[in-house]
Amino acid sequence: MSATALPQTAVEVEGLTKSFGTVHALRGLDLRVPTGEVTGFLGPNGSGKTTTIRILLGLLRADGGRATLLGGDPWADAVALHRRIAYVPGDVTLWPNLTGGEAIDILARLSGPLDPRRKKTMLDRFELDPTKKARTYSKGNRQKVALVAALSSDAELLLLDEPTSGLDPLMEAAFTESIREVKAAGRSVLLSSHIFAEVEKLADRVTIIREGVTVEAGTIAELRHLTRTQVTAVLDGGVDGLAAIPGVHDLVTVDRHVTFAVDEVALPAVLAAVAALRPRSLVANPPSLEELFLRHYGDELAALAAGSDR
Amino acid sequence: MTAVVRTEPDAPVATRPGAASLAGTAAMVRLVLRRNRVRLAVWFVVLVGMIAYVASYYAELFPTQEALDEFAALSDTPGIRALSGLSPAAATLGGAVWTKGWMTVALSLAIGVAFLVTRNGRADEEAGRTELLRSRILGRHAYSVASWLVNALLCVAIGAGVALVSLASGLDPDGTGIAGSLVLGASVAGVGLFGLGVGAVASQVTTTSRAANALGAGVIMGCYVLRMIGDLGDGALTWASPIGWGQQMQPFAANRWWPFALLVALAGGLLALATWLESTRDMGAGLVAERPGRSSAPAGFAAPLGLGLRLQRAAIIGWTITVLLSGLLFGSIVEAMTDLLDDASGGVAADLLRGAGVQALLAMLASMIGLLTAVFATQSAVSLRADEASGIIEPQLAGALSRRRWAGQRLVIPVVGSAVLLVLGGGVLGAVYGSLTGDASQTARMAGAALAYWPAVMVLVGVAVALFGWLPRVAIPVTWGVMAAMWFATMLGEVFGLPAWVVDALPFSAVPYVPFEDMSWAPLVVMVLVAGALVWSGIDRFARRDVVPG
Repeated sequence: MSATALPQTAVEVEGLTKSFGTVHALRGLDLRVPTGEVTGFLGPNGSGKTTTIRILLGLLRADGGRATLLGGDPWADAVALHRRIAYVPGDVTLWPNLTGGEAIDILARLSGPLDPRRKKTMLDRFELDPTKKARTYSKGNRQKVALVAALSSDAELLLLDEPTSGLDPLMEAAFTESIREVKAAGRSVLLSSHIFAEVEKLADRVTIIREGVTVEAGTIAELRHLTRTQVTAVLDGGVDGLAAIPGVHDLVTVDRHVTFAVDEVALPAVLAAVAALRPRSLVANPPSLEELFLRHYGDELAALAAGSDR
Repeated sequence: MTAVVRTEPDAPVATRPGAASLAGTAAMVRLVLRRNRVRLAVWFVVLVGMIAYVASYYAELFPTQEALDEFAALSDTPGIRALSGLSPAAATLGGAVWTKGWMTVALSLAIGVAFLVTRNGRADEEAGRTELLRSRILGRHAYSVASWLVNALLCVAIGAGVALVSLASGLDPDGTGIAGSLVLGASVAGVGLFGLGVGAVASQVTTTSRAANALGAGVIMGCYVLRMIGDLGDGALTWASPIGWGQQMQPFAANRWWPFALLVALAGGLLALATWLESTRDMGAGLVAERPGRSSAPAGFAAPLGLGLRLQRAAIIGWTITVLLSGLLFGSIVEAMTDLLDDASGGVAADLLRGAGVQALLAMLASMIGLLTAVFATQSAVSLRADEASGIIEPQLAGALSRRRWAGQRLVIPVVGSAVLLVLGGGVLGAVYGSLTGDASQTARMAGAALAYWPAVMVLVGVAVALFGWLPRVAIPVTWGVMAAMWFATMLGEVFGLPAWVVDALPFSAVPYVPFEDMSWAPLVVMVLVAGALVWSGIDRFARRDVVPG
């Protein structure tokens, strides 16, 4: 199946809309997952991430727009497409009276033949006891069942909906390792997440959505252009003139300690100015997705704060 | 969820351990009332309303003493003795209403209360809600005791409602005061309290709500069967059954109060046992510890049919045993019943009556096997929606599995399973009856008579699947409502004054009453076609609609 020419994009979504009664879950969402890459999918709770993934799985039918999964129609070609994908839900429901091992086998076999060695490797990596009944599993362990089933497969595309919720840091490391292997094998991943560090670590590109609309999309490097570097310095020469440089924001001075944010384009000018002010120490934090994210949702946070003041 | 749960205890937490384990009970009572207000109201209205309806209908139907005498004579059959019991005062209006309605109301209340106790007990614990509650200032027994209090209140309210309805309808025979009405209400409440005790213990012993419901309903139905055998024999076994105690309060006849004390004492004992079990076990645990299972699944589990058989294994085994035991029981009591019938007929036209009586009795027992099988089939068919509601369907449909194949394979279980259960139940009934009368042909004959109910059972499966496809959010309660309505209409249609054509058009009454009546194929063919159309429509709709978690 991998011999056939793979489409350039594993997932291509344009102008997707979906309503539940009067609730507009998606209002024209765009999303692209290039083949062989990991695409992060960020958005606050209720922004439509899970709805998008459920449309890609053919569980929901879109009201409008276009969605293409591995070159096929996620609704009409669901069964054929599902042989080539693996899915990890954010909230894993299992059969309470079956064991974790049984559930893994059932889920894995539904998509293709089971590779017992891969299953064993993944069980060891995620330290999961497969003989326990699912009803005795914690949330993290139920998550591991879905992860082991998905990662034991040969799927060309992994759809992961907040896959690490409930995992401890060690297991998150195991997850990171596994996704890097998947990527190294040339397979594609759509990673919906709340955890910026995880997305920054793993993703090649990021799509940020809000209230069912894409607000930002691009490679991590491209998105970093949109963000500001956070600078903290102790300047013996005072802070005169720094605030006046275009591209410097939120400047706060306490004695000779100064913190401010700098647009990427202004960085050379600012650094030259800082050098002239005889810095005793200088810390520059790279821009983070989190900062970008918060900037997009900043007005929402402000509105919330205003609401609670009343 | 708009329920606001106040978790602070209403009284300061006492230092006595007994009181501490009940801290927060008042808040929990409010929670249980809020969560179940619709169910509680429905149970009250339906059960009290049923007595009210039967009372007014019978008052109209039997305006004279002659009419009541006739009713009493007609009612003195083994079938009525077995199914509902016969009032010693059947020739009074109160006795007639008791004979028609008491067993249905008391049995429904006992089972209903047992299920309500599970809903607010083991089901919450299984779902993890109890854990959240207990993490607050809440005594170990507070939530259970609150649920028991509310359910006991329901029993008392329904008992009081029944007594008031009885008084208002003038069911007490002239010159006996109001004792009969009071005993009637108390007997219903008492049997309900027994169901409460059974449900409370079942919720402590099992680890899943499904098992708790099965255990509770099984014990209560076992008590029903005990009294059935007792009522057909010398009555000794009636006294072994708490439902029999309720019967033996004999409203409008002996008007006994002391069996009510027995029922209350038994309920108290069962609740004490449940309390003790709850204080000795861990949260989430039952009496049987969880054992490790297999680390891998056979390849067959990847197919929906294989997985469905595994998941419904306990239900399939349970229903097979139920149907086999019923066949065994029914087959062995036919002779005793016909002997009684002989006595009752007093030798007049004995041959004719005996012939007609036995055949009619066999046909009635075959229909009982059919009704039991219908419950199994409905339970299995609604699991389609249950799996969608719980979200467990999603990882399966995310695999290479079409919705039609999933639903189609899952439906093999109720479709084939029902046929097997009908043949087994009818066959065993016939084999036992045949071996007692030396007539080997009865096995095949009764297997066929029971199998004639397969199309009717399939119509119910069709209703379940059509509702699953078209109205998924309400499919499960509506399906069970249709099922219950079918039971009531089939067994009590005449009482409710339903037009004959309505009763005849219901699947279970449309089945030829074999072997009493001749076999007729037309209704069976029509029902199979209707069932097929309903199933097709439901699956087709499901394949085209969104997957809707509950």
